[in-house]
Amino acid sequence: MIWDVGFLSTQLLNAVQYSALLFLLSIGLSIIFGLLHFVNLAHGALYMIGAYVGVSVAAMTGSYWAALLLAPLAVTLVGAVIYFALIKRLRDASPLAQVLVTFGLIFVFLDLVRLIWGDIELGLALPQVLAQQVEVFGAPYPVYRLFVIALGVCVMAALTLILSRSQIGAMIRASVENGPMASCLGINVERLFFAVFCVGCALAGLAGVVAAPIFAASTGMGTAILIPALIVVVIGGLGSLEGAIVGSVLVGFIETIGAVFIPAVSSVLVYAMLAGVLVWRPQGLIPARGRS
Amino acid sequence: MFTQTPAKSVILVLFVGALGLYATLGGYYARELAVEIAILAILALSLDFVAGFGAMVSLCHAAIYAIAAYGFAATSVKLGFPAALAMLFGLGAATLFGLLVGAVASNTSGIFFIMATLAFGQMVYVGLFRTSWLGGDDGLAGVPRVDLSALGVDLNGSLAFAILALAVLVVAYAIAAAVLRSSFGRTLSGIHANEARMRAIGVGTRAHKAIAFAISAALAGLAGILAAQHTQYVSPGMAQWLLSGEVLIVVILGGLGTLIGPLVGAAILVLLRHELGAYTDHWHLVIGLVLIAAVFTGGRGVYGEIGHRLRRRAAVPAPGAPHA
Repeated sequence: MIWDVGFLSTQLLNAVQYSALLFLLSIGLSIIFGLLHFVNLAHGALYMIGAYVGVSVAAMTGSYWAALLLAPLAVTLVGAVIYFALIKRLRDASPLAQVLVTFGLIFVFLDLVRLIWGDIELGLALPQVLAQQVEVFGAPYPVYRLFVIALGVCVMAALTLILSRSQIGAMIRASVENGPMASCLGINVERLFFAVFCVGCALAGLAGVVAAPIFAASTGMGTAILIPALIVVVIGGLGSLEGAIVGSVLVGFIETIGAVFIPAVSSVLVYAMLAGVLVWRPQGLIPARGRS
Repeated sequence: MFTQTPAKSVILVLFVGALGLYATLGGYYARELAVEIAILAILALSLDFVAGFGAMVSLCHAAIYAIAAYGFAATSVKLGFPAALAMLFGLGAATLFGLLVGAVASNTSGIFFIMATLAFGQMVYVGLFRTSWLGGDDGLAGVPRVDLSALGVDLNGSLAFAILALAVLVVAYAIAAAVLRSSFGRTLSGIHANEARMRAIGVGTRAHKAIAFAISAALAGLAGILAAQHTQYVSPGMAQWLLSGEVLIVVILGGLGTLIGPLVGAAILVLLRHELGAYTDHWHLVIGLVLIAAVFTGGRGVYGEIGHRLRRRAAVPAPGAPHA
């Protein structure tokens, strides 16, 4: 059974799909840390908000596609509010202050979501196209999960192109490497920071609405996913796109494949890997160059 | 640097005295509340010991607390160890774990230290959750309280247990204060202020930090053993990182780096939880907002803020006084 091709391919696809979701979430976290030197523990809460807004939009308009579009926008708006209200003033604060404020935000968002949407889990219905299954190596596989993989790959490709080929990408890389110098060269680093923060929030919202049909929207989803996302960021290296990719794939595969083949130790394996990386390569596997 | 000022001694006596009086005169509910405050206060002061005096902000103190609780519960329930031996085992396990985390994580600093402790804490949480011998997600029930009948004390009485919890709090505070006033503690403060300089004058800073973390873990272990005996039940939820975060909130609300502040913070949090919890299910919202406000108003906490104001008032020269 375990060595059946269909079974194996299903597990591999599950691992890739989980990696894609982790990537959508951790890339925002990573770039925000790399660029702003800011730890946003509330990133998981933004993901949760994305899922809930997605459920509501889909219920109101009857369209999953509208939810896919509007949920990231709504989360970006929330992100912009917390940026101007709190984060901008914490830019030069100690890591402790940043952790505390964003930890406080987790509590605030958690209870706001409970006030608005209640405590029960909410599902999100898929359009006909995505709700089907296809045969992959003889085993049926949900189309929706393939869609999530495709979405992750598209975002990854788009970000790679923007960061490595466009002018704005060059400006971002310059600012990660040496903010004050980039600012001397006429880059409005402050505005760039804000733009990057918004993109990170939008991706967190996207991850949330994408995850909702798979896991259902629940109040615990934000704090549950935050830990794997942080692990991805630390393992991969803060602020680097390649690091986030490698980290997502590592964590996604170890958690998914490990749970199938070595269930006894799989859950501890990821944390052991993180501890190992912190001891041997505290800067992460593929760190962004520069000060950090 | 830590100094046991007269103000701190007075607050400690008033704090323990008030809680003791409240527990004695109040009913069962008051005693439960006093125990809850005492346990959270011990946990918070153990965190303040490393976070406030060694710049090691830990998000795994809930896990350390859970290790001690499980160490005590498993050895006494499953293996039938006598209570004293089981307590030693629980404390030893917590201390050893603290030493390990301290040794590994002292390689890093700032946000990386926080992440490393978070990872170790989660490792414990998941491990407890998955170990069926330890009850898995059901936890272990039927944990006994220590038998002090030889001394004529029955700890199954709520008042006796409340008094014991307060006594342990005083002992924990005394140990922490004594260590911080020793040369070991002064060196720790030096590392906090400037680690590179301490290394330059020949201090093995990593070993020093690891040992400090182990001492803090032993103190957190005291809280864990008390908690296991209080509810007579342990569960993996004790190791959750959100609880570590809550302990950090207590330290911040009370005053980081004051040692006495966390006691005040613990009382505030437990009372807020019970008072607000009576009105609304959403008391976390209030805690979150209070925490954000606390950081933005200087992050000194209740005790630190009062001290700061008093010092500032004292620093203002009296009118007519000659300028220095």
